[in-house]
Amino acid sequence: MNIKLITGILGAFAVGIRNIFKRRMTLRYPEQKLDIESGYTFDAKSNTGSAGFKGRHILYTDKCTGCSLCAIACENIADCIDMVQVEGSWPTNTKNIMPQIDYGRCVFCGFCVDACPFDCLFMTPEYELSATDKRKLVHTPFQLAVFPERKGNVKLIPDDGGAHHD
Amino acid sequence: MQNAAMNIEDKGGDQLVLHVGPQHPGSGHFRILVTVDGDYIVGAKPDPGYVHRGAEKMAEYRDYIQNIPHLERPVIIDATGVTLPYVLAAEKIIDVEAPDRAKYIRMIMAELNRIISHLYWLGIYGIFLGHSTMFMWPMGDRELFIDLAESIGGTRVTFSYVVPGGVRNDMPTNFTERALKTFDYFEKRIEEYKKIFFNNPLMTARTEGIGIMTKKDAIGLGITGSNLRACGIDSDTRKDEPYCLYDNVDFEIPTRKEGDSYARCIVRLEEMQQSMNIMKQVLDLMEPGPIKQVIGGVMRGEPGEAFVRTEAARGTMFYHIVSDGEKNPYRVKISVPSFRNIIGMTHLLVGSRLADMPAIYWSLDYWPVEADR
Repeated sequence: MNIKLITGILGAFAVGIRNIFKRRMTLRYPEQKLDIESGYTFDAKSNTGSAGFKGRHILYTDKCTGCSLCAIACENIADCIDMVQVEGSWPTNTKNIMPQIDYGRCVFCGFCVDACPFDCLFMTPEYELSATDKRKLVHTPFQLAVFPERKGNVKLIPDDGGAHHD
Repeated sequence: MQNAAMNIEDKGGDQLVLHVGPQHPGSGHFRILVTVDGDYIVGAKPDPGYVHRGAEKMAEYRDYIQNIPHLERPVIIDATGVTLPYVLAAEKIIDVEAPDRAKYIRMIMAELNRIISHLYWLGIYGIFLGHSTMFMWPMGDRELFIDLAESIGGTRVTFSYVVPGGVRNDMPTNFTERALKTFDYFEKRIEEYKKIFFNNPLMTARTEGIGIMTKKDAIGLGITGSNLRACGIDSDTRKDEPYCLYDNVDFEIPTRKEGDSYARCIVRLEEMQQSMNIMKQVLDLMEPGPIKQVIGGVMRGEPGEAFVRTEAARGTMFYHIVSDGEKNPYRVKISVPSFRNIIGMTHLLVGSRLADMPAIYWSLDYWPVEADR
């Protein structure tokens, strides 16, 4: 019994000490940011999506028809999409209404992207959406139309010691 | 007499009622009323319901797709485990069947979620027993599996990935290569876990022979999942009633005979190994093909009902959906494993010491939000 006790404790210490000298796999977040390649997109013709990060939406205002299907899809999930009036003349959008998304409510499920029949609402890898004011979380159609800049500077690379960022 | 300030009730004599939770750092949103006589527990009454959100009632007002993000909320760390049986039941109602490739991807997501959930449990169990290293390591390694799941599902935990008819998107092309690297690493890591925690006398002294559940009691109480397998019963829905394509893969059901807290822990560790074993086989078996059967228009079923039982991370997850032909289900009944394991707490805690309570409580892998639904 004593031998089991001693080998158990020594074994635990040996593994613990060995791990002190291992390369850490922590992402040092504000300095290092993960570079995510693509956002979640959906092809309405084949009715399948393509794998990607579900972050902030991107709205292609030139293709949006104001059909409100994204708002209807969101209705009972998070109820965060409102169709709002926009200024200007839009050849495809005679009613001049486009989605406005409240990121205080959005759960990033992406079912609005699946619902869009005109391939004009996708998702981007942008995840830094925090704001100091609740009202700033509501993104207007024109804010959504801007593609976010790629801020990531490291990639996650799986290796023998788990993973490292480079 | 009642002392409201300390939440302590004097039962008279030598007995005292202690309220453990709902703010206990580890019990979650859940309370146990423990009656103690000195250091011994003479009565335990679990008090769930603090995070009841009416998931079953909510499901009656949403259509088959809109239900998915809501139904995965109760168990976000096992999101595929809780939505997969719902989707399988909805498929029976709508009368569609997923293509083979979609079934394989569902299996990968379900097994990844099982590992993610078990690692979370292991981390918390480590800190419950005062072993901070065992909190840090599984939480760190869990991120690797979350990254794998994220590359398929798009988000860290709530994927909303499985839908009636198939899955929403195909796997990324480099997934197999990344996954195999992570599995190789984690298989070595499990040996390290054993050395620092499972063979460590500090851990075995607190769990071996603590909270013993016999085979007969486990069957009588209706215990499910790893807790049942730790009593020597090789019951696993994946083997007993194969769903998806689990009958194509070859895996073992880890069991132990002891039925104590240690057995419940080691069974979960071996289940993670088996999950990786399943995923490796699935990655070999998978062939390119369609991933979704397209359903035109709004999903509507024939009037009728469907029952589906699957093996989620905590045990058997059961869904009963009744449809009256409308676009919303008429009734969704969820039978969750946590709620079925809660009775084991009353059974195991009585007669043990108060200091053993955390070791017994968390060895059951009870998730309050799942039990309350």
